[in-house]
Amino acid sequence: MDDRRRRFEAQALPHLDAAYNLARWLSRSPVDADDIVQDAMLRAFRAFDGFRGGDAKAWLLTIVRNCWLSAGKATRRRGHTSLEDENLTAPDRDPEESAIQAGTKRRLDTMIAGLPEEFREVLILREMEDMSYREIAEVTSVPIGTVMSRLARARAMLRETAKDCL
Amino acid sequence: MSCKETLRTQSYLDGELQGVDATNLEQHLQACAECQALAADIADLSDALRKARRYRAPDTLRHRLTAQLDRETRRASAKSFWVGVASGGGLSALAAGFALFVLLPPSAATLAQSVVDAHAAALTAGKTIMVASSNHHTVKPWLAAHAGISPPVADFADRGFALAGGRTDEFAGNRAAVAVYRHGNHEVDLFAWPDRGAALPQAGMTRGFRTEFWKSGDLDYAAVSDVDAATFRAFIDLAKSQRE
Repeated sequence: MDDRRRRFEAQALPHLDAAYNLARWLSRSPVDADDIVQDAMLRAFRAFDGFRGGDAKAWLLTIVRNCWLSAGKATRRRGHTSLEDENLTAPDRDPEESAIQAGTKRRLDTMIAGLPEEFREVLILREMEDMSYREIAEVTSVPIGTVMSRLARARAMLRETAKDCL
Repeated sequence: MSCKETLRTQSYLDGELQGVDATNLEQHLQACAECQALAADIADLSDALRKARRYRAPDTLRHRLTAQLDRETRRASAKSFWVGVASGGGLSALAAGFALFVLLPPSAATLAQSVVDAHAAALTAGKTIMVASSNHHTVKPWLAAHAGISPPVADFADRGFALAGGRTDEFAGNRAAVAVYRHGNHEVDLFAWPDRGAALPQAGMTRGFRTEFWKSGDLDYAAVSDVDAATFRAFIDLAKSQRE
């Protein structure tokens, strides 16, 4: 295997789940998420010689987000499909999980999916991907101050909705 | 909302404030009811969101990607063959560079690279756990039998880091015992290997993964994860507090 492929597998591929999770939450569709990630990984591989070390996760997620943006409006219109699919993580299938918990989780998913894009993405990157403000700023191409205010707004919106649902 | 410190309270909870900034905010939190309520809300929401789903790339996508990368790699190597024919001496220079690389003992920087490589390779292959158990009475003897060393292993589930299992791993010429912990959707690997007097790297960030190294007893340790800075710090403190 050539060196570039090996480095790519060691550095970028471990963040494939993060890439898919972001694409899935942005597009809200399993089919579109597949396409976006496949496109993003290929672009990342071709551009990999230009990647000079540093934060591979932020670098890769930036490409994922750009692919989602360039996939354009047609993709996003199709995006409003069911949130159910087969790609749940193992802990989600915990047999001991009660029906009530499962219901709460589903409502929470719907609430996140209902957030406007610019708020949804900072929330996903912070709460699910555990990224720092600086990394989120890099991925979403906005200043850190904007990351902070969007995150605050996203949390406030979820709190408001949660008062009625959870 | 009337308090002007609410954004800084959020930053504090997100692990973005350090040192004197964090101390100042803690003092503010003790006095400000609005920020206390906000902090409780953010923490509750965070807990709930950790239970929301983090989607994982389906296996079908993984397979398609591998095939796609194979095609790309073949195309690239066909190109580089002709480049190689044209340039001649490139290969021997490469071979000389490689020989130099293997003869040198691993530097501290290489060690950080290698441990992240090992962690990343296990994550990529989905093989981080060879023995799955949340019981340290199971994991510890398994590691002793398979890695030849017996580091302390404890479950920190009540502190947010649930023991998920263990594996053996090789990196930079070391055979390591690895205890695997889960924090929400993230994984923290705790590597342990015999101390042979090697210099250890500073704590740092390599390709999106945080690393920290330390020595304790006759073992060297490394923690690797992509959790945020504050969470990583909490784990290190717990790991270092273990008794051998």
